[in-house]
Amino acid sequence: MALFSFSKQEEKAPTRSQRKLCWDARDEFFQCLDNINVINSLDGRNKKKVTTECGNEEKSFERNCAVSWVKYFKEKRVFDEKKAQILKEAEGQDAAVIPLLGIRK
Amino acid sequence: MLGRARTPFRLRTPLGVPLRQIYRPISINRVLLQEQKKQENVNATDGVETPKRKPLSRIPIGAIPEANSQKIGSSGNVEFSTWKAVVLFALVGTAVTFFFKREKKRLELQKEADQNRGIGKPLVGGPFDLIDTNGEQFTQEKLKDKFSLIYFGFTHCPDICPDELDKLGLMLDELKSKYNIQIQPIFITCDPARDTPAVIEEYLKDFHPDIIGLTGTYDKIKECCKNFRVYFSTPRDVKAGQDYLVDHSIFFYLMDKEGEFIDVLGRQYDASGAVEKIKGHIDAYVPRDQRNKQKNSWYGFLFK
Repeated sequence: MALFSFSKQEEKAPTRSQRKLCWDARDEFFQCLDNINVINSLDGRNKKKVTTECGNEEKSFERNCAVSWVKYFKEKRVFDEKKAQILKEAEGQDAAVIPLLGIRK
Repeated sequence: MLGRARTPFRLRTPLGVPLRQIYRPISINRVLLQEQKKQENVNATDGVETPKRKPLSRIPIGAIPEANSQKIGSSGNVEFSTWKAVVLFALVGTAVTFFFKREKKRLELQKEADQNRGIGKPLVGGPFDLIDTNGEQFTQEKLKDKFSLIYFGFTHCPDICPDELDKLGLMLDELKSKYNIQIQPIFITCDPARDTPAVIEEYLKDFHPDIIGLTGTYDKIKECCKNFRVYFSTPRDVKAGQDYLVDHSIFFYLMDKEGEFIDVLGRQYDASGAVEKIKGHIDAYVPRDQRNKQKNSWYGFLFK
């Protein structure tokens, strides 16, 4: 949020070091979510648990990343988890995973 | 027949048995047989050769058999002994196999590239009119005389674009160091509202110095994305400072020296994989006029 709240920085793209700050904050927050077994932090039912257990990490995450990025990463976490589950299920059924051309995620 | 005494080249086996006695090709058998006969002859006449003419012999009457037999018997420099033949066969076979495999791969890549180019209006790519980070015009004309790799992205991209641009840097370095190939890397923004030339210039400083950043008006960018079949979700009227993400396709577009599209490289390639793919295409590349010549020639079916 802070990154883009100054009028001077509005136009500027995030630099490598800013991206790293954001990613590190994200990883810390997600690590915390892992510890309390929460996948979807956007889900209202988890909200209370997330704020009490991982409030600080979430604040740091939101401070270091743009709002759109925070939303994107939170959604991506849910998506990635679903994907991992589907792959795991498929593996349990002896399915061979065929990589789709040009699509990695 | 009746040739001068010759000692055939013999390879000794570990047992001391001449190799030729173990395995003799037919041609050698005959020669040896004749030698044995001759030997008997020599023995019988106590060292004095008495040439006898067989019926239907091709030796002219009165001719010196010595001179004639020399021609047949002493052709040892052409005659193949077994092991030489085997070695030669193996060598030639390997070379031919290798050559045809390589040519087959090259032809396949050439065909693939040709199908991607399409006939008439290009399937992917085409004219565009954008500006680079120095504010200068950059059109498809600048793609000529070098291979280019085009990537579409935007500077506010959370994780994929920076990843891919880092990969692009690795690819460029590996192409240069491993194959001494230099290609023109181009970054085209899908987010013209925020990505001005200055912003892109600043952004690209984090990546490989060769990368050329392009932007343009909303309509020019939209048209370019459409021509390259890039999924494009940028809203037209965004307010200054608005925070949003742009959904876009993630591909590298490989363009040939005539600015025509050859192939896409997706995210499934790592840097080395992409380098090999690009190298293959560059090796298989044939300029347009030569391609047309090939297609119209008698062996043109090979390219269809």
